[in-house]
Amino acid sequence: MNDLERDIASLIIETLALEHLKVDDIAVDQPLFGQGLGLDSVDALELALALQNRYGLKIASDSRDARRHFETVLSLAHYVEANRAPCAD
Amino acid sequence: MIELVIERWRAWAPGVEEPADWAGWSAAPRALEDNGEQPACDFVAPMQRRRLSRLARIVMHAAWPLCEDDEQLPFVYASRHGETTRTFAMLDEIGRDAPLSPTQFGLSVHNAIAGQWSILRGQRGESVAIAGEADTFEHAIVEAAALLGNGAAAVIVVMAEERPAAAYDGWIDDVPFSYAVALRVSRADGTATGPRWRLSLRGNTEAAPSAEGPHALHFVRALHDGATLDHPWKTRRWTWQPIP
Repeated sequence: MNDLERDIASLIIETLALEHLKVDDIAVDQPLFGQGLGLDSVDALELALALQNRYGLKIASDSRDARRHFETVLSLAHYVEANRAPCAD
Repeated sequence: MIELVIERWRAWAPGVEEPADWAGWSAAPRALEDNGEQPACDFVAPMQRRRLSRLARIVMHAAWPLCEDDEQLPFVYASRHGETTRTFAMLDEIGRDAPLSPTQFGLSVHNAIAGQWSILRGQRGESVAIAGEADTFEHAIVEAAALLGNGAAAVIVVMAEERPAAAYDGWIDDVPFSYAVALRVSRADGTATGPRWRLSLRGNTEAAPSAEGPHALHFVRALHDGATLDHPWKTRRWTWQPIP
């Protein structure tokens, strides 16, 4: 897991109060929603908000691609890498 | 006039959790220090537990064992102030012009905890969420009596408050510490066993001063010493009497 992936996994745990999990418990290719980690639609909204705040992303709520970007930690890392605001850390 | 059997009851406050603790507290009631303690609620799976606020955990902890897994009972949730912690967090977000947390927003409504009870316990029947004044506890009992009158075998009643943020000091003065009192009540003329109590209401014509402290905790004390309670509040005067 690279630094960005660890950072995203940590953000997921913190934002969604997954206090029973550690960063290493979430595999980068584990599905986050449904049968995988078990997140739901409220989590998706909460996570989108946290990603916007952290990385300065603009996530359109009607984006068809959002579902694909939010599949795994790995896909989120690719999405953040490609779309993060230049100044955001 | 309402007559009820208190089939079982449970209560929670910081550091006062077991029946023996409550017997001790009832013998010498005192204000408790609230340091944000909360019940573990490890009977709820982690993925569900993460959505429970402190107030919700206190409610679940108190009420959980009063309802068996194979029965459906109406649920009365009563709290004068409700989820002040969630609403205060949202006010803070609004004040900072930050977007609202969808989770906080969705779970800040007054019936959210009753909804969580329904989901976690698979309860598909009636539930009521009420907020009244200092006599919210008595109004919760009126709701329970109505449900019993309508044919419910028993009703779970939970009166709960969480100590609010310091910013509310001077506005909210009736929650000295967080607490919940959960009762399983049924009709006094039924077959259930347990202490029987009568609740009656008359006008507060003598303008008796309000009773100090949470009424539900006075009732916990009365469950131990069996003494009659007098709860005046504004124009209303509630009397709790044990039925011999």
